[in-house]
Amino acid sequence: MGSRSPAARRFLRRVAIASGAYVVTVFFTLHIFRRGPLHLPEAIGVAIVPSLPILAVIAIVGLYLKEETDEFKREIFIQSLLWGSGLTLALTSFWSFLHLFAHVPGVDGFHVFAMFWIFVAISAFPLARYYGGSDE
Amino acid sequence: MNNRLKVLRAERNWSQQDLAQRLEVSRQSVNAIETGKYDPSLPLAFRIARLFGLPIEAIFIDS
Repeated sequence: MGSRSPAARRFLRRVAIASGAYVVTVFFTLHIFRRGPLHLPEAIGVAIVPSLPILAVIAIVGLYLKEETDEFKREIFIQSLLWGSGLTLALTSFWSFLHLFAHVPGVDGFHVFAMFWIFVAISAFPLARYYGGSDE
Repeated sequence: MNNRLKVLRAERNWSQQDLAQRLEVSRQSVNAIETGKYDPSLPLAFRIARLFGLPIEAIFIDS
């Protein structure tokens, strides 16, 4: 996204807020759980808190796809999301086998959210390079 | 799908950025359409056709 559209700027601002909320809620949840054991209903109530910003991000992605008027940018974004999903699923599956059978340390599930967005961002570079071209 | 966008743009001495501004899309969109890496939607194809004053089939060639 060389020159960002107003929709892209709104998207980045909203995602930054939701990501900040996610980090805060993850630390909040870890803090609560480390204080001592909770009964299952309480544990469910606390554990669900960090998933709320994730749901918000899904809504933010939907808003962006609705607000972005440049159909090509929508296409590139969808491709980035697909690459991000694929790479995240592949890596978590690969790592799970290593964890189960090769005694490699496990990765906590709440890191997957950040991993997904890192892969989305990384995949945007080759896509931009492929489609970018030069003015002639 | 092949298209004559680059030729039509060159005839008017427009850069990709000029065309992008006229179509209200990004320069990357124009580049991707010109190089055949991206096929525009029907509404955008109509906008392109209107801008050049040509029918869609005179710009986009079904290969």
